Amino acid sequence: MELLLPFLAAVLIATGVYLVLSKTMIRLIIGLSMLAYGANLSILLAGSGTELAAPPLLTVEGPYVDPLPQALILTAIVIGFGTTALLMVLAVRAYQAAGTDHVQELLDHPDLLPPEGVYADPEHPSVSPEIGPDTNNINADEGAASNGAESKAEEEKA
Amino acid sequence: MSASFLLLAAVLTPFGAAILAPFLGSSLKARAGLLLALAFAPALALLTQLGPALAEEPLSATLAWVPAIGLEIALRADGFSLMFALIVAGIGFLVMAYATAYLGAQERHGRFYSYLLIFGGAMLGLVLADNLIALFAFWELTSISSFLLIGFWDSRKASQDGAVKALLVTAFGGLALLVAVILLILAGGSTQLSLLDIESIRQSAYFIPAVTLLLLAAFSKSAQLPFHLWLPTAMEAPTPVSAYLHSATMVKAGLVLVAKFGWLFADTAFASIILYVGLLTLFWGAYLALRQQDLKALLAYSTVSQLGLIMSLYGAGYPLAATAHLLNQATFKAALFMVVGIIDHETGSRNLSRLSGLWRKLPLTFALALPAALSMAGLPPFGGFVSKELFYEDMLYKGWLPITLAVTGSIITFAYSFKFLSVFFGPLRSENPKVHEASLSFWWPVLPLSLAALLFGIYPLTLSWFTNLAAPGLGFEAEPLKLYKGLNLALILSVLTWVLGLALYLLRTRFIAWQQALTPSWNANTVFYALSAGLERLAQGLTKRTQGASFATHLRLIWLPFALAGLAVGGWFLPAKLTPVSLSFAVAALMILAGSLGVLLARSRLSALLFMGLAGFSSVLLFVLLRAPDLALTQLLIEAVTVILFLSVFRYLPVLKRHHRRRSVAIFDIILSLGVGTTVFAALLAVQTPIGERIKDYFLEFSEELAGGSNVVNVILVDFRGYDTMGEITVLALVGFSVYALLRLRARASSGKIEEERPDDD
Repeated sequence: MELLLPFLAAVLIATGVYLVLSKTMIRLIIGLSMLAYGANLSILLAGSGTELAAPPLLTVEGPYVDPLPQALILTAIVIGFGTTALLMVLAVRAYQAAGTDHVQELLDHPDLLPPEGVYADPEHPSVSPEIGPDTNNINADEGAASNGAESKAEEEKA
Repeated sequence: MSASFLLLAAVLTPFGAAILAPFLGSSLKARAGLLLALAFAPALALLTQLGPALAEEPLSATLAWVPAIGLEIALRADGFSLMFALIVAGIGFLVMAYATAYLGAQERHGRFYSYLLIFGGAMLGLVLADNLIALFAFWELTSISSFLLIGFWDSRKASQDGAVKALLVTAFGGLALLVAVILLILAGGSTQLSLLDIESIRQSAYFIPAVTLLLLAAFSKSAQLPFHLWLPTAMEAPTPVSAYLHSATMVKAGLVLVAKFGWLFADTAFASIILYVGLLTLFWGAYLALRQQDLKALLAYSTVSQLGLIMSLYGAGYPLAATAHLLNQATFKAALFMVVGIIDHETGSRNLSRLSGLWRKLPLTFALALPAALSMAGLPPFGGFVSKELFYEDMLYKGWLPITLAVTGSIITFAYSFKFLSVFFGPLRSENPKVHEASLSFWWPVLPLSLAALLFGIYPLTLSWFTNLAAPGLGFEAEPLKLYKGLNLALILSVLTWVLGLALYLLRTRFIAWQQALTPSWNANTVFYALSAGLERLAQGLTKRTQGASFATHLRLIWLPFALAGLAVGGWFLPAKLTPVSLSFAVAALMILAGSLGVLLARSRLSALLFMGLAGFSSVLLFVLLRAPDLALTQLLIEAVTVILFLSVFRYLPVLKRHHRRRSVAIFDIILSLGVGTTVFAALLAVQTPIGERIKDYFLEFSEELAGGSNVVNVILVDFRGYDTMGEITVLALVGFSVYALLRLRARASSGKIEEERPDDD
């Protein structure tokens, strides 16, 4: 017992570590779950040891095991699920958008780079979409200020 | 109906309608605006509460918010607040009606009206709030709704940029306001604006920082130099929004702040600061407005300029003239923006160099624009003349520099007002050959505003009626306004303004050419972009320096020392005596080993998930064996939910491809994971002999007595550590929202590459 339970926690954590270092998104997520299993077990072992007393329910006879690690783990389990759920859905979306499940490729994806700035021009607000293409750009006979960075993507809206 | 109920209803009804708007918008489309505009009815009904009693005792209402810490939404309508609330509600009503004609059939009507109503409610709350914290909250809410409305056409880069810029500048002001409000509460000894102790604030060491921050907030919201940069680019918003938020109401929030805190600045150096910032803004805004070719840009710079005028008057302590001009500006500017919307709609352009002679085709629009534009120019018999005369009279007291700035600014104002009107004169030119007059639903909302611009001039007592209302609130003498007060210096200056303004209008081509030549290569905009680009570069550089390596490499670096520590101490802590392993533990152990191995070797998505589940269920078993029934139950539940989640997204998951690591990397990772495992193992052995007292006895002893529960784990979660659990619930709620949003995105992205990539193993 004294060796077996720490060993199991260590196995779960080692598995988790190896998977988290993977390049595949799903294996990374599964690795995080394995790490969580290992961590929860470790906290329980570190908190209440391996001695077997009664569960912390005051309706039964004591002595009781330490309730505090159990409370901490309960929170951790629920939060862990939240993390996994979010990551899973995010992975699916990222895969659909970027077409890859390679962790580093996702990070380097061009869509994630900050966009080249298209700025609003204070002197030439864009034309409302239902009114049609912006005609400011063609020419301006009264020598107005040049039409700086008018967005070309105005018709996108339609 | 009691007054305080009406006051609460005035603020809360628009918010309620904002919730309804998406539903009405999807069924009634644009016409929903007419129905939703009724949300302003309670605010307009405040008219019934006017009377002589108001001067003695302002209306008030209180809604408990967080009573435990003295937070409440206290509303207090003195005459000034009430007058402004009437402007907000009245113009809000007209703008909603106008938007029904303005918005195309394809727009997202529900969303538009919802944002507009949130703004309306927030603005009413802002002017009526008496509690300083609530004032700040409403202030921020107007900034946020302004952001949403400027970026309403959110696929356009220019709209995104304009919205972000407006939010950055006004939110900066909002933060300043927060600090100012806290300082005022500390120094003034109350959270109620009406109960602040003026003398102790003035004596306090907080006085200067509080007032400075308050002014920063007011200047950034009301687009005073050098914060004016956000207003012109806010014109990326749909035109009804420009008419409502960015000329008539929201940009006046800064003025309201300065007006309400007038007693704080009076007779201090701050009054002169406000005066000169306002006058410089008046001049600079007008100077820039004159050279604009886009009608909306012209009105935007003109708004900056007019806000400067009103700001200078409030700052210098002339609330009568300021309030009169505030009213004039709200009516004529909203009307002019709506006229631009009509021109834009009917001709397809707002470019002054391509439009002229429109009065032939749009006679009605011209008739509506004329009083508004002439009021802006300051010509009799329109409202603008009355307040501009007051402005001159007051500035004459202030010395030669203020009056020079005032007259110069007004000359340019006169010139650009005529430039605006020039779209209607001359030979007919238009992009659209088949221009025709706007429909009734388009022009009727402009009518009351244009009539007001005329009425305020020919019958100034109507304007006085409003200023008299505001008088007790701002503490000035109510006096009737007059159109003609005899020949005085102000009138002579006005005539001078018209003459020089007309000359400037006629010579405008040369003046603008001269302006272009003088334009420096930098301005507030370039400084703003340089600063924001600099910040972005700094952040990117810092990230690159500190986190340049790949995600996995970072983890390797973090785990390496951890692994080395474990490898070094190895079996140091092996216990002396060992107890035998019972059979149930052996089963759990085998399941965990199988699960771990299976996950590592799995070749398909399904088997990987199944093996993970195996490890999960074996930890349920371990929890049971280790006397943790609550954990076992929770884990069991979570495992079940996880399986459901995985199965629901399963068909969208990528096929489990193996992106193989290089052999050397794989060997390193194996050694690293074994090292981390060893460290955990060693650490768990080490802590088996407790080194200190445990705190479990406290929980076990007091669980029943203090919290009345016998399941100690549950008691810790919901009572002893209740705040932690609240945080946890918040996190889960956020995750829930994010998952929902992500799944909705997927449902909407229905075309292109995404479809092809879906595996079809349904």
